Amino acid sequence: MSAHAPAGLARTEMVCPKTIAEACAVLAQAHRDKRAASLLAGGTDVIVDRHLMPIEKARPLDLVVDLTGVDELTAISERDVAGERHLVFGGGVTYWQLRTDRRVLAAIPMLDAMAKDVGAVQIQTRGTLAGNIATASPAADGVPALMALDGVVKLVSEGGARTVPLDQFFLAYRKTVLAAGELIAEIDVRVPLPGARVTWRKVGTRLAQAISKVALAGVIEEERGTITRARFGVASVAAVTHPLGGVRALAEGKTFKALDRATVDAAIDLEIKPIDDVRSTGAYRLHVAKALVWRALAP
Amino acid sequence: MIRFKVNGTVRETDAPPMARLLDVLRVPLGLTGTKEGCGEGECGACSVMLDGVPVNSCLVAVGQCEGREVVTVEGLAHGAELTPLQRAFIEDGGAQCGICTPGMLVAAEALLRRNTSPTDDDVRDAIAGNLCRCTGYQRIVDSIQAAAAAVRAKTSKASKASKAGGETGA
Ligand SMILES: Cc1cc2nc3c(=O)[nH]c(=O)nc-3n(C[C@H](O)[C@H](O)[C@H](O)COP(=O)(O)OP(=O)(O)OC[C@H]3O[C@@H](n4cnc5c(N)ncnc54)[C@H](O)[C@@H]3O)c2cc1C
Ligand code: FES
Ligand code: FES
Repeated sequence: MSAHAPAGLARTEMVCPKTIAEACAVLAQAHRDKRAASLLAGGTDVIVDRHLMPIEKARPLDLVVDLTGVDELTAISERDVAGERHLVFGGGVTYWQLRTDRRVLAAIPMLDAMAKDVGAVQIQTRGTLAGNIATASPAADGVPALMALDGVVKLVSEGGARTVPLDQFFLAYRKTVLAAGELIAEIDVRVPLPGARVTWRKVGTRLAQAISKVALAGVIEEERGTITRARFGVASVAAVTHPLGGVRALAEGKTFKALDRATVDAAIDLEIKPIDDVRSTGAYRLHVAKALVWRALAP
Repeated sequence: MIRFKVNGTVRETDAPPMARLLDVLRVPLGLTGTKEGCGEGECGACSVMLDGVPVNSCLVAVGQCEGREVVTVEGLAHGAELTPLQRAFIEDGGAQCGICTPGMLVAAEALLRRNTSPTDDDVRDAIAGNLCRCTGYQRIVDSIQAAAAAVRAKTSKASKASKAGGETGA
């Protein structure tokens, strides 16, 4: 007796490359051969999707490229960019790594708080940052956190590499700039300065295994009372994770005292139009998003 | 052929690489201790350890396990000798109908292997992905804490004994 595979995957071939270059070569070849190929990391989005998919709707996949054996993708390293400290996460870094890596815990405790809010331990040990980004769910938790940290993704293909700031990565609901043959090799984030006000707040129905109604990440830095940096990522309030560029423009260069709640709220109204769905209402989401942004800004 | 270690023994399967680890464990390998609750990562009934960390086997493709090491609930006890967690679940009412118990034991085992002095919050975090419809969770938390205490008692006894041994030797 054998075991079945989820919809459309019974005849799928699997390749397990050991390096990013190998993975890119396999992807490129599949593309040239017109084979339907997909990357697979923790499987916490892909396999659930396939499992729930009606069999008649499932487009069969010819090839899956398993990335869990690519060690380069699970590295966490440090780099100095123009005198500022950055951390670089391989695309295959898991939430569990964020929760247990000493450097991350010391430099950016917000990522630990975010990771703890993702699903539960069994999801955190498998789910990866690149998987979260590539899935492009507007309710993703990793994405807003990385966005507030000025995340920049490095996309690699057989032909070369390019970098894209996370706030330009998402084009529309579940549409991204990722091209066929490309994979997310790295995510670079800037470590907030000591003394920065760093916020992570996920509002959901229960602490574990809940999709957010609203989630907000924020990084506020000040120099002698003037806000020098106000970066955000907000989830579940628009078709894509939103950077709230209007609030950033309003706040940077001002003291907190010079800001007033009504003006900030008006800026938020211009940027996001949250919808009603099974998890919450648009009105509640907007109310919560405004309150969270204000709290993130306030000393 | 996909080859990987299950509970210490190398096993092989000719299942398609995208077959779920859960199905391979239960059907061709006959290890039915691992349960399917939801099939979508929410309930934890299918928890196993993969290279020492707890995962939901309904979300792992068996092809991803090539060369790796899986421990299921069947692999926890040493023959007839139960683990402290298994004993505590029996003695302290951590198991009622039992459907969540294999997953709970695996998740809790993973916790105790990294932390033998967990707070109740640590315990609840470790089993937050394991649903139980019977116990109300408190008895499970108590069982895990009782097992942790038993493990600590055993290690402190062992280290005292080895210290005492060291002193006589010196
Ligand atoms: C029970 C449950 C609870 C969850 N809870 C949360 C939650 O609280 N918050 C949250 O944000 N998410 C949650 N998720 C969703 C999911 O766990 C995350 O989005 C996770 O980060 C996905 O990563 P993965 O490695 O499992 O992706 P996979 O499922 O392996 O892949 C997802 C997509 O990314 C692509 N991909 C993977 N790696 C790369 C790469 N390196 N480059 C380019 N593309 C790539 C794949 O081709 C696929 O399209 C939950 C899922 C489940 C099942
Ligand atoms: S069956 Fe795997 S988590 Fe429910
Ligand atoms: S003991 Fe019945 S579900 Fe937990």
